[in-house]
Amino acid sequence: MTVHNLYLFDRNGVCLHYSEWHRKKQAGIPKEEEYKLMYGMLFSIRSFVSKMSPLDMKDGFLAFQTSRYKLHYYETPTGIKVVMNTDLGVGPIRDVLHHIYSALYVELVVKNPLCPLGQTVQSELFRCRLDSYVRSLPFFSARAG
Amino acid sequence: MADVVLFEFLHAEMVAELGARDTDPGPGGQKRSLSVLEGTGFRVGQALGERLPRETFREELDVLKFLCRDLWVAVFQKQMDGLCTNHQGTYILQDNSFPLLIPMALGLQYLEDAPKFLAFTCGLLRGTLRTLGFQSLVTSSVATLPACKFQVEIRKS
Repeated sequence: MTVHNLYLFDRNGVCLHYSEWHRKKQAGIPKEEEYKLMYGMLFSIRSFVSKMSPLDMKDGFLAFQTSRYKLHYYETPTGIKVVMNTDLGVGPIRDVLHHIYSALYVELVVKNPLCPLGQTVQSELFRCRLDSYVRSLPFFSARAG
Repeated sequence: MADVVLFEFLHAEMVAELGARDTDPGPGGQKRSLSVLEGTGFRVGQALGERLPRETFREELDVLKFLCRDLWVAVFQKQMDGLCTNHQGTYILQDNSFPLLIPMALGLQYLEDAPKFLAFTCGLLRGTLRTLGFQSLVTSSVATLPACKFQVEIRKS
């Protein structure tokens, strides 16, 4: 099992944070372009899902998977989006994505008056804690899967 | 009691508002803006010194211990980590993880901005001491976040 990478977007599509652990194939475009592409796709999926759903939804879009990876999506009512790519063996990880939002983003970015909101996060403490939290996840290791 | 986070956010806004005033052309801009924060803390500390439950103090050290235990618990939900003195009216109060600095950094990032976030608390200590009958001078220092020290000098009148 593996965690490939993680994106954090705000409600306007600004990429607040990006980290990468196991990513064998790079996009081949500049990172800035990749963030826009990623956000554009997520935005489209959101509207697609809400139009296609035959019933009223509570949570909306949760995840998708391809032959090689799975994309997990979590959105808060304030529009913060936590997006994590893992391999296919990983089940639902809503609690993990929520933890990244509530215990890391809120605690170390929102509660840090020196971190401007709506911009790329500069706090080293946030990056460091996020990295160690993701590395501690039971499905992080590349060897186990 | 109100949620801790209310005080934290209000404090951050006070610092942002008063810290921004240092662009004023007046003499000693930054120092003056911090003294407003310190003055606010002083008033709050005076009231807390009056309000917090306590027994009568026998000597100066008891008062400082009261600051480290009761006052700190009331304001920051924890006790001070260390108290040193030279027995000549100077005390060092040490907090190894000062709550207002915890979310900022672990290390040296944001070190330049840290002093602004201690001015209110310096006033808090000075105000409480004032209510309990001591004139004092309180200064603070940060070497690495989130640890900080408050130096209290008791003025003999």
